[in-house]
Amino acid sequence: MSEHHVVVDNLVKTYPGAATPSVDHVSFALPKGEMLALLGPSGCGKTTILRMIAGLIEPTSGAIQLNGREISQTPVHKRNMGMVFQAYALFPHMTVAGNVAFGLEMRGIPHSERGPKVQRALDMVKLGHLGDRRVTQLSGGQQQRCAIARSLVIEPELLLLDEPLSNLDAKLRDEMRDEIREIQSRTGVTAIFVTHDQDEALSMADRLAVMSAGKIEQIGTPREIFDAPANEFVAGFIGAGNFLSGRVTAPGEAEIEGLGPLRFEAPARIGSQVNLMVRPHRFKLAAPGPNAFTGQVDSLVYRGQILTLGISVGGKRLTADLHTHAGHLPAKGETVTLAVAPGDVTFLSEAAA
Amino acid sequence: MSATGAPAQQITGSNRFMLLILLVPGLLALMTTFLLPMIWLARASFSTSSMAAFGGGMTLEHYHAALTDPFYWKVAMNTLSLGVTVSFFAVILSYPIALFLTRSTSRWRGVLTALAVAPLLTSAVVRTYGWMVILGDRGVINGTLQALSLTTDPVRLSNNTFGATVALVEILMPYSILAMLAGFGRLNPQLEEAASMLGASKLRVFWRIILPLSLPGILTGALLVFVLAISAFVTPRLMGGGRVFVLGTEVFQEATVTLNWPLAAALSVVLLALFSSVIVIYQRALRRLEA
Ligand SMILES: Nc1ncnc2c1ncn2[C@@H]1O[C@H](COP(=O)(O)OP(=O)(O)OP(=O)(O)O)[C@@H](O)[C@H]1O
Ligand SMILES: [Mg+2]
Repeated sequence: MSEHHVVVDNLVKTYPGAATPSVDHVSFALPKGEMLALLGPSGCGKTTILRMIAGLIEPTSGAIQLNGREISQTPVHKRNMGMVFQAYALFPHMTVAGNVAFGLEMRGIPHSERGPKVQRALDMVKLGHLGDRRVTQLSGGQQQRCAIARSLVIEPELLLLDEPLSNLDAKLRDEMRDEIREIQSRTGVTAIFVTHDQDEALSMADRLAVMSAGKIEQIGTPREIFDAPANEFVAGFIGAGNFLSGRVTAPGEAEIEGLGPLRFEAPARIGSQVNLMVRPHRFKLAAPGPNAFTGQVDSLVYRGQILTLGISVGGKRLTADLHTHAGHLPAKGETVTLAVAPGDVTFLSEAAA
Repeated sequence: MSATGAPAQQITGSNRFMLLILLVPGLLALMTTFLLPMIWLARASFSTSSMAAFGGGMTLEHYHAALTDPFYWKVAMNTLSLGVTVSFFAVILSYPIALFLTRSTSRWRGVLTALAVAPLLTSAVVRTYGWMVILGDRGVINGTLQALSLTTDPVRLSNNTFGATVALVEILMPYSILAMLAGFGRLNPQLEEAASMLGASKLRVFWRIILPLSLPGILTGALLVFVLAISAFVTPRLMGGGRVFVLGTEVFQEATVTLNWPLAAALSVVLLALFSSVIVIYQRALRRLEA
């Protein structure tokens, strides 16, 4: 485990008076320079994990290691971690530069060395010209960049970001996503960031940990999580999906209620009940045949590059994302056939019937 | 008198009219209970008749008397020093309480806050008598000291400035606690967390974050206590036993014993002007601090 920079081992947090733990035996390990996204619905314990790593709350049990050293007993102000709070938590009685310099001052760095470091940090987040402003006179995006500069200037061992983008409008959020990612890879700092926005997690993180009710459901690269979700929860939480369940009638083939046979590539016992999923973008327009379903288009949403259409087949609804450059685009009411390759069907779970 | 520097909200056109209408009752009440008496007081200070009746001639002699008599200057200095001492101790003692109440997350916080300001439910007169029972020559403290044979003569704890100061500090503390609670709006536990994540120890979090951010509340509390202390009459009178000469007691003396109403009025106007300017300057400074 020693090649890992951050190791979280069986972390548990039960708040006083709570019946169930808010964080339940969570473990993960991060190599240096990696960015991990903690993703999950509201209340699943993401902030709690971050705050335990930061030392702001004490774990009920479990261990946290940084550089192979156990830090559970290290007080907050000696952990050398940078944190960007959801509400930024900038000091309102100080200037932008004052906020950024604070951490350096606490480390006893002499005044003469502070100035250039602060300027460099502010330049990095494109706030170089606003050092003398009061933080109350900054826009939301500028405040956030100030918070990032403040947490990076101390050259932290670990950067923690708690939903840093949730207060921003969509356009600024996209910009800041790229910017945070860029800064993180440039400085090579190991980072953990919390979000409940799947796009944010998929586009920013090297790896994702999808959480539900205090537990990590799956941890992996964005691609693994998206293409091979470990269970229904992960599949449903990340991206859209057509969830199909049926009985296995032959090796690699299940009879889906109302739809008919669907072939897939996973070992499953004949007679058992399986849960399968097809991502909307895996469907293609095709002629009727095996693994194809025919129905009338009853909804159509044009999204520029993608056309999302819904068809009804035997009481079930299927959703497909088609590329708009794919030649003929169906119209509402038209009868179409959607086909999926067996390899593109995601196998989720199997239960003996 | 409130100096909590909450920024005024932007008011737009049609709201303005509504606002004026809503202000009318309050303004009327202020007119009759504050403004009219003030005008009467100002007029009385120039009056030639000793009962300050309207009509008669005008004279500046009372101002001359008030401003040239060294005794009144001494009274002004006494008042100022009592005000400063009382606000200093009231603030020192209230600050930890107000800070605790603001930062507490206990569910008893509401109850504790109510308890902290509950003394306001009894009148200052009653509480002053309470302090006389405690600090008097035959009071609780002296009684105990003598029973233990630690002293033979009573220790002078009342009928002097000390007694008046102690009683005023206690009586005015609830006001400073309330003013501080209202003025601590910028305190935020997340700022403290941010500071400690940046490497600040508990002590430095206090000096660099908590204290600066609570300064407006502290200064507001100090101002409120100062104003109440320099205008106090009952407590300095009863606890001072006639030996503490401050603004309130002297104006009372002139008005009810010497029966020189115009001089009492002139004294009041002079001291009013003096202390209003202190307060205006103070508030300017306070506002600059909060900007
Ligand atoms: N101080 C606390 N005392 C008691 N329970 C708490 C406390 N803080 C959080 N909880 C509970 O712990 C659980 C996890 O909270 P947490 O803040 O970690 O969620 P989260 O995943 O960050 O959610 P969100 O996305 O809404 O921020 C929740 O059920 C919450 O009610
Ligand atoms: Mg949270």
